[in-house]
Amino acid sequence: MKEVYVKKILIVVGTIFFTLFVLAPVIWMLFVSLTKDLGFLQGGGVNLTLSNYVNIISNKNLHMLDYLKNSIIISTTVSFLVIFIAGFGAYAITRFNFPGKFTIPLMMLAISIFPQISIAGYLFKIESNLRLINTYPALIFPYTAWTAPLALWILISYFSQIPRELDEAALVDGASRKNILLKIIFPLSTPGLISAFLIVFIACINELLFALLLTTDYRAQTISVGITLFQGLHGEIPWGELMASASLVTVPLIILTLFLQKYIISGLTRGGVKG
Amino acid sequence: MKIKKNGEIRTAYFYISPLLTIILLFILIPIVGTFINSLYRDITYLPSRFTGFTNYADLIKLSDFWNSLKFTTLFTAVSVSLETVLGISFALLLKEVFTGRSFLRTILLIPWAIPTAISARLWQLMYNYNYGLLNYFLDITHTGAKVNWLGTAHGAFWAITIADVWKTTPFMTLILLAGLQTIPDELYEQAMVDNATMWKRFLYITLPLLRPALVVALIFRTADALRIFDLVYVLTGGGPAGSTRTVSILGFHYFINGDFGTGSAVSIIIFLLVFIFSFLYIRAWRFKETL
Repeated sequence: MKEVYVKKILIVVGTIFFTLFVLAPVIWMLFVSLTKDLGFLQGGGVNLTLSNYVNIISNKNLHMLDYLKNSIIISTTVSFLVIFIAGFGAYAITRFNFPGKFTIPLMMLAISIFPQISIAGYLFKIESNLRLINTYPALIFPYTAWTAPLALWILISYFSQIPRELDEAALVDGASRKNILLKIIFPLSTPGLISAFLIVFIACINELLFALLLTTDYRAQTISVGITLFQGLHGEIPWGELMASASLVTVPLIILTLFLQKYIISGLTRGGVKG
Repeated sequence: MKIKKNGEIRTAYFYISPLLTIILLFILIPIVGTFINSLYRDITYLPSRFTGFTNYADLIKLSDFWNSLKFTTLFTAVSVSLETVLGISFALLLKEVFTGRSFLRTILLIPWAIPTAISARLWQLMYNYNYGLLNYFLDITHTGAKVNWLGTAHGAFWAITIADVWKTTPFMTLILLAGLQTIPDELYEQAMVDNATMWKRFLYITLPLLRPALVVALIFRTADALRIFDLVYVLTGGGPAGSTRTVSILGFHYFINGDFGTGSAVSIIIFLLVFIFSFLYIRAWRFKETL
């Protein structure tokens, strides 16, 4: 019977530690973003205010909204492109027999863990020659290639669960392969598409190395770069404003994640490990 | 029949060609290009010249290179171990039935969803000497003197490790939780009948049956940690005094300083190192079964 108590204590301790571990930095971020000066740390009162948020949005020189806009445009474009490209690829792999049916997806799996640095320098050189540096395509192309393997595996795992008899029946009825994919397979694997979309979207928002190297100013830099380069006029970091910017990105992402966590979890566990 | 089959193969390649093209253009060719670059003296404003493996030979003589390799492997070992232990604990906790479980499951994904650059800034604030939560806590509880977290090599190592563990433990937990859910309950019920203690059940049922998921998660995370760039770049910039410069950051510094030859050589070395793990990763799990 003693074991029951040990277990109960472990659960309580675990829950407290888990909650603090996960939430403390986030709460601290929100808290600092809402305080004017950090006087409360020196014993002064807490001064709650929205001025940090007002500042980062109204101060055009910070370009926070530009970074945010760039990130959203780039990530959304990449997600749609990847779904389309990986969707056709996953359909071929799950429905046809052809040389490379096994090698190609396994190769893709290996590619998804290559270090970005191993291609970043070369990409910089070719993109400089093509005058692509500091444009949206400068990031859209590499991001599409970089995230396609992830989406491919997520979609393979969804497509392979749809019975092939469905394809056969549609073929007999005279449907083309393209229409089968777009009108039967895609709608039937909507959760898979959402899941791949979200994983790719978040990966693009997250990426830093390519973005630092391949873009140079607010016209193409993403929010990750903006937050990385954020600095005050005199070298000192304006923590309140920095944390307000961080919250501005983080809060919508957290809400998105919490609402769609089912899809994200299935994407992470299928694409990454469960296969 | 033969004709139908050929047509099928053609359609298959047609469907998969956009994927192969983009991978070829933006990943495979750049990797080969990086390798070729690494064989040249390729510095901005200087005429480029083929030098064979000179860049590699020079790197091996450089203490900066060895220090970055040492830091990267040590960081990988410590952070992957820590997140594995935490990941197993969290996964076991989330498998139990208790009030608050769904709350924990909900918040678990938060660190994962926050972009790395932002989480690095978050932790930079946590570690800040004057405004950090950690020093604030030390101060108000009078448990110790304020720590200069990011100012010393030792402090910076742990600062990076903790921030990385925070960010990546959710992923580990999810993978291991998925693994735990494949273990049949009957095994535990049988063990209860046999009066096996909690610890014994963990040791003889949970761990062995969790092994496949654990191995895959470990390999994946090791490869991922070896290539670490963004967290360290934002949190410490490789400092203080280059003590936390990872191999990726070393390569990046060469690139932005215009030394593409040496930068490429560094990149190829980290690529080969990670490649070993990506090869193991493919071998480790029955990925082929899904196909």
